[in-house]
Amino acid sequence: MSLKLVWRFLLSHPVRSILTCGSIVVAVFLLCVLRTTVVALGSSIEAAAANRLVVQSSVSLFVPLPLSYQPKIEQVDGIEHVIKWTWFGGYYKDPQNFFAQFAVDAAATMEVYPEMEITEGSYDAFLASRQGALIGRDLAEKYEWSVGDRVPIIGTIYPRADGGAWEFDVEAIYDSRNPAFGEQTLLFHHTYFEEVLKAEQGPEALAAGVYIMRIEPGTEPTTVMAAVDALFESGPQRVQTTTEAEFNRQFVTMFGGIPTFLSWIGGSVLFAILLAAINTMLMAGRERTRILGVMKAMGFGSGSVFALFVVEAVVLCGAGGLIGVAFAKLVETPIAVALSTMMPGFVLTTETILAGLAVAVGVGLVAALVPAIAASRLRPVEALRAEV
Amino acid sequence: MALVPFKYTLRSLFVRRSATLLTVFGTGATVAVLAGVLSLNKGFEALFEAHGREDLVVFLRPGAQSEGESAFSDDRADILLKSLAEVATNASGAPLASAESFLAVRLRKTDGGETNVPIRGVQPATFAIRAGEIRIVEGRNFQPGSDEVIVGRPVSERIRDASVGDVLTLNTTPFRVVGIFEHDGPLDSEVWGDVERMRVALKRPVYNRVLAQLRPDAEVAALAARLEDDRQVPAKVQTEREYLRNQTGMLSGALQFLGFFLAVIMGTAAVFTGTNTMLSALASRVHEIGILLSTGFRPMAISLAFLLESLLLGLLGGVVGCLLALPLNGVETGTTNWQTFTEVAFAFRVTPDVLVRAVGFALILGLLGGTWPAVRAARLDPTDALRRR
Repeated sequence: MSLKLVWRFLLSHPVRSILTCGSIVVAVFLLCVLRTTVVALGSSIEAAAANRLVVQSSVSLFVPLPLSYQPKIEQVDGIEHVIKWTWFGGYYKDPQNFFAQFAVDAAATMEVYPEMEITEGSYDAFLASRQGALIGRDLAEKYEWSVGDRVPIIGTIYPRADGGAWEFDVEAIYDSRNPAFGEQTLLFHHTYFEEVLKAEQGPEALAAGVYIMRIEPGTEPTTVMAAVDALFESGPQRVQTTTEAEFNRQFVTMFGGIPTFLSWIGGSVLFAILLAAINTMLMAGRERTRILGVMKAMGFGSGSVFALFVVEAVVLCGAGGLIGVAFAKLVETPIAVALSTMMPGFVLTTETILAGLAVAVGVGLVAALVPAIAASRLRPVEALRAEV
Repeated sequence: MALVPFKYTLRSLFVRRSATLLTVFGTGATVAVLAGVLSLNKGFEALFEAHGREDLVVFLRPGAQSEGESAFSDDRADILLKSLAEVATNASGAPLASAESFLAVRLRKTDGGETNVPIRGVQPATFAIRAGEIRIVEGRNFQPGSDEVIVGRPVSERIRDASVGDVLTLNTTPFRVVGIFEHDGPLDSEVWGDVERMRVALKRPVYNRVLAQLRPDAEVAALAARLEDDRQVPAKVQTEREYLRNQTGMLSGALQFLGFFLAVIMGTAAVFTGTNTMLSALASRVHEIGILLSTGFRPMAISLAFLLESLLLGLLGGVVGCLLALPLNGVETGTTNWQTFTEVAFAFRVTPDVLVRAVGFALILGLLGGTWPAVRAARLDPTDALRRR
């Protein structure tokens, strides 16, 4: 009975209901997208593997480490694998087509990064191929590369002597089970990288960007970190060994004030939308003074009149929230693909969905309060006399 | 055609105080967000683009996107430094050109954590080229050939061991901080020292870029074209302004996209709210409109009055939005220059241009929000309207 009344009230001003619902849709959509962005910015820390450690130069992100460090690191107790991992920094045809490429020790890479799952081609073919490359699914789709293709990459940090491109043969494509380890990465052999550099620039050009280690189960990471750091305390390049989470954190903190700024925007959206909802409910309340008077005269109690407003607002805003979340879900994949080179991990979490819905319902409750209280206090005689 | 008096419009807004206030503040929040993003972008542009000089050229290795990626061996740098006719000379005939090294070095912040600070090694000619741009505000400049550095003012505040008299250790070499400098542009975020000492301490076998001041009559485009495929020293030549613009293109583009995205989405919500308010105004004024129509006002005039009212709502929202955004002016924030992975600090700049654009945006919101109600108002039938209470 009263639900039917709510429905009637909502339909009494269809345009207004639709517009109000529409602004809630927009707001919830925006809040979900902003929150997902903020979460994604930090996701590489959350999703980091606890058993991976990174050895980097303590001087600078841009200073590579000597190749001679690898056998020394391997001597440290508790380490399963040590692989070279060198940022290549190239692009495909145009600097706009930028994505991550790393030269790696291919043999142990799958052990260190078990979240990779080869879905096309084979890992063995990649291992066997001198110029072979292992690429992520998104990358393959974006540039329509498939197994067997030869891919030219222009090196900005490591240009070829003839000014041309490095060429890699796609041998395998991986899917990632870890949202923070994106599918827009190209991995190729460190041996091939060294081979070319040695021939074109001489042996002194050889180095590794960082070393990534997988530690044995049950090993205390801090012990390993201290032991590795101690190896190179007196140079030639001092190192700093950290967990993968710490390593990623240095990139995340680079976003600086951006997460705070996005949160502020979210706050403003919330504020604007709350005002809009209050506005609508006040209008509804004002217009209905006379009808409410009639209802009360017919015997509707204060409580049910109060509830009527609250339910109406919650239904209206809740519907807006649902549609808003649905829109956010709809754009999730396109945004994730567009951002994946800069910022992997754009995933609409359950938490964000619930937060979006909670905000919508909350806004409805608050907005209903003033007119609902006014309506419950309304004296039928005055209401019937009122001119609106 | 007789227009509905302006006073009527004003009073209508005043009579419906709560609806007016709620709409104005809702629009205001939307406008404030747009103004915030715009002023962030302004602050960013002011730091980078406004301080790039047209008479300076930056030489990079072909293909390099930033100086961190660029490299010149000693002999190649030497050719660029000494043999280019386009480069201006000082009073004694020496070219105003300087080879520089550049590395983003990991340093500890005063409030904990680490950040990447650009360390630039320069030759004495740099100070001749940048005469007047670089101001030593504390201590003195470093001695060429010595293990001394000078530090940009914001860096000295943010980074540990970066005040005058402190010792800053780079890899294993201690450098003494002897001065603090200021620069209105991005150089403010750097640490400077002698280029040869830097190369030794940081084990850098190469120079990263060459900076030169051009003669007033020199043609940058011709120089760039000539050096692009030069046999001896192939180089990418850009004016400093071009170089800095390329450095910030990505972030600037991201901010502009963010501003556009938010303006469209939040603007939609604001238009919905505005339409709601005006429709409700219309509904409660049907009787009045009937009177206006029957006293001879044309439907067009009524329609315009509604549109005007909505525009006024928008204008008020714009003003409120600007007032909300004004305190942002000068607030310092920081992010990273993704081309070099170094931290840049910059401030929101709420310029008149930002305010004008924000108010313009608010007026558009008002216009869009008022259109449909205005059309509805014009369509009312006078007798029918008069009958409604």
